[in-house]
Amino acid sequence: MSMTSTAAPSPQTGAVKVAMLISGAVFVLMMLVGVLMRAAQGDLLDLDPALFYQLMTAHGAGMVGTAGLSGAAIMWYFLGRHVALTRWVFHIFLALFLLGVVLILGAIFLGGFGAGWTFLFPLPAISGGAWDLGAAAAFLLGLVSIGVAFLLFYLEAGRAMISAYGGLGNALGWPLAFGGSTENAPPPTIIAAATVTVFNTLGIVVGAAVLVVSLINLYLPEFAVDALLAKNMIFFFGHVFINASIYMAVIAVYEVVPEYTGRPWKSSRIFALAWASTLLFVMAVYPHHLLQDLVMPGWMLIMGQVISYLSGIPLLAVTAFSLIVYLKGSDIRWDLAAGLLVLGVAGWSVGSVPAIMDGMISVNKVMHNTQWVPGHFHIYLLLGEVAMAFGFMAWLVRGDVAQSRFTTLDRLGIWVYIAGAGGFTLMFLISGALSVPRRWAVHMEDWLTQDRIATGFAVLAVLGALIFVLRFVGGLGRSSKA
Amino acid sequence: MTTGFQRCGEFALALLLLLLCAAFRRTLEADPVTHMLVQLPALAWAGWLFAGVASVRRPRLEAAPTNAGGGAGLLIVFFGIVFWMLPRSIDGALTSPEIEAAKFLTVPFLVGAPLRLSWYRAHPILRGFLLSNALSMLGVLAWLYMAAPIRVCNSYLVEDQQRLGLAFLLVALSLAAIWGGRLFFKPDGGSAGDLLPDLKANGSTSYDT
Ligand code: HEM
Repeated sequence: MSMTSTAAPSPQTGAVKVAMLISGAVFVLMMLVGVLMRAAQGDLLDLDPALFYQLMTAHGAGMVGTAGLSGAAIMWYFLGRHVALTRWVFHIFLALFLLGVVLILGAIFLGGFGAGWTFLFPLPAISGGAWDLGAAAAFLLGLVSIGVAFLLFYLEAGRAMISAYGGLGNALGWPLAFGGSTENAPPPTIIAAATVTVFNTLGIVVGAAVLVVSLINLYLPEFAVDALLAKNMIFFFGHVFINASIYMAVIAVYEVVPEYTGRPWKSSRIFALAWASTLLFVMAVYPHHLLQDLVMPGWMLIMGQVISYLSGIPLLAVTAFSLIVYLKGSDIRWDLAAGLLVLGVAGWSVGSVPAIMDGMISVNKVMHNTQWVPGHFHIYLLLGEVAMAFGFMAWLVRGDVAQSRFTTLDRLGIWVYIAGAGGFTLMFLISGALSVPRRWAVHMEDWLTQDRIATGFAVLAVLGALIFVLRFVGGLGRSSKA
Repeated sequence: MTTGFQRCGEFALALLLLLLCAAFRRTLEADPVTHMLVQLPALAWAGWLFAGVASVRRPRLEAAPTNAGGGAGLLIVFFGIVFWMLPRSIDGALTSPEIEAAKFLTVPFLVGAPLRLSWYRAHPILRGFLLSNALSMLGVLAWLYMAAPIRVCNSYLVEDQQRLGLAFLLVALSLAAIWGGRLFFKPDGGSAGDLLPDLKANGSTSYDT
């Protein structure tokens, strides 16, 4: 095996296409699982509650993992335009990722594991007989494998960026952000990738620790786990990881949209500052997941609320605003890729509104554990991260911009997807506002109407997604980006 | 390039470390925190320095084909560390002069020295992986020592063991800050313990390919 890095930067198109193919297929599959869950809640389908929780665990872990995978593939592709990456690292990344998926699927569908993707202590260990320790251990080991995959991914990304820019500080654009120096300012892709590399590596290190602790505790329960500490570590890891998926996917917007507008996306000082604040706040904001843990120190919860306003907002504002400015007045020729990428930024923006509301302590008292929560995160995942991933996929197989066409099928796909995903998430928000709890396999009579309407919308969203994935598969053969 | 003067200094420092570890044996070993987190690392550091000096005199040491990519050396380090992590070994060092002598030999020469001879040859990703893993596993160790329902060493008290756990946590946090900080501000690294010294933009590498 050759251990040397590639000499000149060039994107690793083939492997990235494989990663996106896997992502697209898993997205659609897990969406179908979501439809099953929603239909079961609406009593349209008779699903054994034990199976519901297995499906919920598979859906949560599968979707979060695939959001991470697709985001990582996007980051790897475009990072490859700017720095020389070691190619075999991406292969190991994919292999370890798939190993993790196999372990997790085995744990769930052979072992009956159904404790949710958040594996919160002590549920994996105390299942009341629903699954045995082996299943819980396989699930945790699967997450460890995926964690190691991402660790290697970021180590290589970090190495390559440090090597090219001389230190992470430069790659993060700090001289630009804090000194206003435009000399050798890194492009947006580098600033974004460096930021994610720093905070997600930290998240993974913390996640690995809590996973190993949970594993030991499974077999040696005398080694007691402090439930609150474990919860803090898990949510730090989980929050940071899922955020990273969006922050990686948005790189596609920075790199692809300029092809349509003819105006390069520049690293301005405000852009670098927004990413610098994201780096700090994305890690400090996680206590907003623990607002109902009254034993948490008060200052942490207040920090969670206050930083909820700050986290993401500057970046989101800068990205969305720049996007509007770049689009305005440019005679852009829309196609599937452009449409989905712009949709992604819009969905990300819209979803953050109910998210920030839920980050307020007074609101959270009422909304926590209602479907408001899946309501807001499905908006910025389904209409945000996933839309960007589909947009990137469309672009990957698009060919030349001049020949690219916005077919009727494409238009249909986008509108069906927007209508489906929009209606589906809105129903979650409405249910949440009516205090329908989340994570309940069986719903009360009064909630069934919303559940059923939501199921209909969900089917539409899956149809849209299916169109995007089939278009991608069809385009694989004839794409010019080999 | 290390000068002859520097080499002498490193050699002297290594000897001094060994001597201090031996002379203050009783004091250092009275407390598991200083035993595990001062004496053992100091012994390993002495070995690291010895190997550095030796490899300047005998460059072949550092280029040994048997240690390509640092794999063989790192395995030795791994088993050396694993052995001295066992509470039983630590107990033994306190009660048996032979095991104590073995500690003074093996920690420098089966942990510190092979680490020095292998570290820079290892692929940067392997190095980064080992460092990240060290951080999260120090965190796990901290928890293990604080949460253990039993006394793991005959020679130390339960409270000592819990203090050791806390100390592991502090070490993990400090190392994370130091190692992380270097990546931000010192891209080309210093002499010892460079995180990712392969940082030249032209793609030239210092590790084994
Ligand atoms: C058509 C698409 C989708 C459908 C129909 C769907 C459906 C559902 C349903 C019914 C739940 C359980 C709600 C409850 O707690 O009562 C859920 C939870 C969840 N979904 Fe989705 N979903 C879809 C897409 C996505 C996407 C794209 C992602 C992420 C990229 C995602 C991530 C999650 C997560 C993380 C949970 C939480 C699981 C838990 O509570 O442990 N979903 N989804």
